[in-house]
Amino acid sequence: MAYRFVEHTAELEVELESDSAEGILEEALRAFAELAGPAAGELVERPVDLAASDPPALLAAWLDELLFLADAERLVPESAEVSVSGSRVTGVIRARRGDPRPLVKAVTFHRLRFGPRDGVWRGRVVLDV
Amino acid sequence: MRIDETTWEIPASARQDMRVPARIFADSEILDEIVGDLSLEQLQNVATLPGVVGAAIAMPDIHQGYGFPVGGVAATALPDGVISPGGVGYDINCGVRLLALPLTEPELGDRREALVHEISRSVPAGAGKSGGLRLRGKSLDDVLRDGPRTLDGVRADDIEYTESEGRLEGADPKAVSERARLRGQDQLGTMGSGNHFVEVQAVEELLDPETAGVFGLAKGQVAVLIHSGSRGLGHQVCTDFVRLMDSRLTGYRIHLPDRQLACAPASSPEGRQYLGAMAAAANFAWANRQAIGDGVRRAIASVLGKDAAVGTRQVYDVAHNVAKVEVHGGSRVCVHRKGATRAFPAGSEEIPAAYRGVGQPVFIPGSMGTASFVLAGEPGAMERAFGTTCHGAGRRLSRTAARKRVQGSELRRELEAKGIVVRCLSPKGLAEEAPLAYKDVDRVVRVVEQAGLARRVVRLVPIGVVKG
Repeated sequence: MAYRFVEHTAELEVELESDSAEGILEEALRAFAELAGPAAGELVERPVDLAASDPPALLAAWLDELLFLADAERLVPESAEVSVSGSRVTGVIRARRGDPRPLVKAVTFHRLRFGPRDGVWRGRVVLDV
Repeated sequence: MRIDETTWEIPASARQDMRVPARIFADSEILDEIVGDLSLEQLQNVATLPGVVGAAIAMPDIHQGYGFPVGGVAATALPDGVISPGGVGYDINCGVRLLALPLTEPELGDRREALVHEISRSVPAGAGKSGGLRLRGKSLDDVLRDGPRTLDGVRADDIEYTESEGRLEGADPKAVSERARLRGQDQLGTMGSGNHFVEVQAVEELLDPETAGVFGLAKGQVAVLIHSGSRGLGHQVCTDFVRLMDSRLTGYRIHLPDRQLACAPASSPEGRQYLGAMAAAANFAWANRQAIGDGVRRAIASVLGKDAAVGTRQVYDVAHNVAKVEVHGGSRVCVHRKGATRAFPAGSEEIPAAYRGVGQPVFIPGSMGTASFVLAGEPGAMERAFGTTCHGAGRRLSRTAARKRVQGSELRRELEAKGIVVRCLSPKGLAEEAPLAYKDVDRVVRVVEQAGLARRVVRLVPIGVVKG
């Protein structure tokens, strides 16, 4: 289970690896939380039910949701309990109130990947910063 | 293939899917940097868009982006050529506004630090406790439809000296999603993060004194450069429409080499809806820079007095991420400018009457701690680049690479040693925007001048930086 930021001239490219689809989304959450910065406020839960046209688009939609919570509710994600079925994710996001660093502008479809290969789930996403 | 001293072309025959050539404005050194990342591949991808005309164009500040390269220009024939939200970018109408203060750097003297500090208090990075204006319902709709003129107390001359007078025609507030409204409603007057900034500068050199005089700029004069965009609202508009158009590509039989180039015919329901939402987000961005400018004037009033604030004049405000319907070569086209600035020459009716004899002002921010330029549009821009020039220095190093080479605290000391006052929330963010991460802005503007796209008017140097 891991996430790492890779070289990109202008934006931020994130590579994700896990043993499950859910694990990829949790790694994406951890990467996003690192970028948004720490938060020490009240812990809140937000239900999530997202559907997309295909699995890579679901990864983008998931990060879009985290970005929306940061922008509109000033929430920094901390953990999630989710279930992925095809191109749909349901579950709950736990997040703390704070003052998220407004670094990430958007989640792009450029070089977007999300799927299993050789028994390992991998994801890749480029964030506009 | 080299066409002339500053123009290179990749012919349309280089790839089966290219519809037009890819044209690059660069000198040899800049070209060497460009080939180091995926910029040219991305430019060739742009040349595959249905309806693209002339050439897919790269300015000398081009660098790898997502979908379109940053520093890219593409025009599509109307009515049925495509509109691509990714060709505008997520930060719709990211742009630059220049304010000229009625005093010189020596006159500012030791009040410089107080001014920079007060600006950092008046212009928050994000929508926190001390965030931006709160807009709801009708007042947000008004801003989306008509831009900064709807804000309280806006000066008429600020509107006059804004590209398109701060209002793109066809803005449709109804095409802006609830999610976009929720993201943006508390963000008006906030700067954002990344490469956004407010910089206090001094005019170091007049390269075209006559035009500088027309723009109201004199040697030694203090100015404030504001770089920001449409914040979360614009980002969400782009997100919504990339997703929508991506899901409709098959229906329009559009095949793309990169999913981020998702597009639809401009005349289609999706295309028209996007153009309405994009125009609304662009109007929001102009209102945002207006609110930031108002914050700067409040800071000036607080530190330098009310007369100085009243005497602070807006030179101009330009967009560098936008799509506009324009006439080029006698045809109506949709010009996508992604990290590129409109640069209309003298005589254009699209620019303020006072500037019509010299051409449209263009602002080219350098990297933090280096020079910025004011340019003026030249006829070559219309002839060779759909009325466009560059938008900045252009990145050459990734943020990670920049952080590996310099620490934020060390950079702050270096800038302060040069007499530049720095206010930045994040040392990491400071390092990511270090001058070494960018191309040499002097070289970039020399290329656009030599290519006949715009001429250099004024060189400014920073004396204070506020970053999110």
